Amino acid sequence: MTTVDVDAIRDAVASVPDPELPPVTVGMLGMIHEVSVDGGEVVVTLLPTFAGCPATEMIERDVREAVASVPGVEHIDVRFVYDPPWSSDRISAEGHDRLRDFGIAPPVGATHDVPDAVRRLPIAAAPTPCPYCASTDTAKESGFGPTPCRAIHYCNACRQPFEAFKHL
Amino acid sequence: MNLDDPRTVFLLGIADDELVTGHRSSHWTGFAPSIESDLAFATLAQDEINHADLWYQVVLAGRGGDLGAVDRSDVDRLGLGREPGQYRHAIVCERPPTDFAYSLARHFLYDHFDAVRLDVLTSSNDPDIAAVARKLRHEERYHLEHADTWVRKVARASLEAHDQLAEGFARVWPEALWLAEPTPAEADVVGDLVPVGASEVGARWLGDVVPVLEELELPLADDVAATGDVWRLPDGFFDTPRGRHGEHTEDWTSAWEEMTHLHRAHPGVSW
Repeated sequence: MTTVDVDAIRDAVASVPDPELPPVTVGMLGMIHEVSVDGGEVVVTLLPTFAGCPATEMIERDVREAVASVPGVEHIDVRFVYDPPWSSDRISAEGHDRLRDFGIAPPVGATHDVPDAVRRLPIAAAPTPCPYCASTDTAKESGFGPTPCRAIHYCNACRQPFEAFKHL
Repeated sequence: MNLDDPRTVFLLGIADDELVTGHRSSHWTGFAPSIESDLAFATLAQDEINHADLWYQVVLAGRGGDLGAVDRSDVDRLGLGREPGQYRHAIVCERPPTDFAYSLARHFLYDHFDAVRLDVLTSSNDPDIAAVARKLRHEERYHLEHADTWVRKVARASLEAHDQLAEGFARVWPEALWLAEPTPAEADVVGDLVPVGASEVGARWLGDVVPVLEELELPLADDVAATGDVWRLPDGFFDTPRGRHGEHTEDWTSAWEEMTHLHRAHPGVSW
């Protein structure tokens, strides 16, 4: 009997791109909660980002395909869990760089350490830097953008609207 | 499935509020006064409908069940396949959007109520309820920020804007109070699935919203009264059963027909 290499599974899952932000992967977003292997049976447990994200089903399908390509895999179970809740603090440094290169400002600062941050959005200590010109002379225009995870900001320096990944 | 089980009755009060609020929010798509508010209400709708979806999964998994293994078609059937009288949302959620001022007033009152409810549910003895509430509470901060920003902005924009918003609040308040109506499962769930009862959730909610509205000189409901520094409703306020008991208005009949049309025309369809 072949034993499936758990690290190969983890790598396969981690490299799945986000369908709406292709340069950023499931691994960079910090969505992997657990990968377990029992003989040819693989269970991948993921943390959904925003509960209303329509990309979740596509990610499930893509993770399933990626895992199926690992030798020895006989059965795949992809599950989403809500405990612990996913947070934008889980996005890796590489994920931040890729978001910025894609024209989306990465989330600034930690979300969960702010008192009362469970109910109120933390007041940002500094404005979100513009992903194009890095100026901090920016302002948030709207908390809602083209996807549940993005907000709209405006850069006064280069006079461009830009998107920013929301704190969660 | 048994829709009368206390856990189901209690959770449907929450899930149905979210579903119907999402449905009504979606009516602003393409009609809101600015592109930002259009996108905002569209996102609010998407969020609320998906939050409803997640609560329906919690219902279907059952206590201690497998939340990750709930069948999609069962979720659709629970969300869209019931008769109108089997829905337990508060009637304020089923009213048409009417105008932007009314919608803003409802958005403000509803999302503050939902925030208090989620806070309370994070201490549920049911681990799935607590986990989902923690997750959603964090997302809902964007709804609160949106509601607070708009209500403050419109209230201070001009006398005419203030008047229109005041009229919106005057219309929405009497029905919004019924968000705090206890479900018939109240006695079975308080102290276990939820640490405090509906009246306590209602009092905390009034404590959050009333000071803001007083500051902005916007109207309160006549029934809201202060006992010391705690805002409360009179005893026996909820003696007549309404939304949480499946008693709805004619606005619900038409909203239900529209909302469930595709599901009824093509049962089990996936999209």
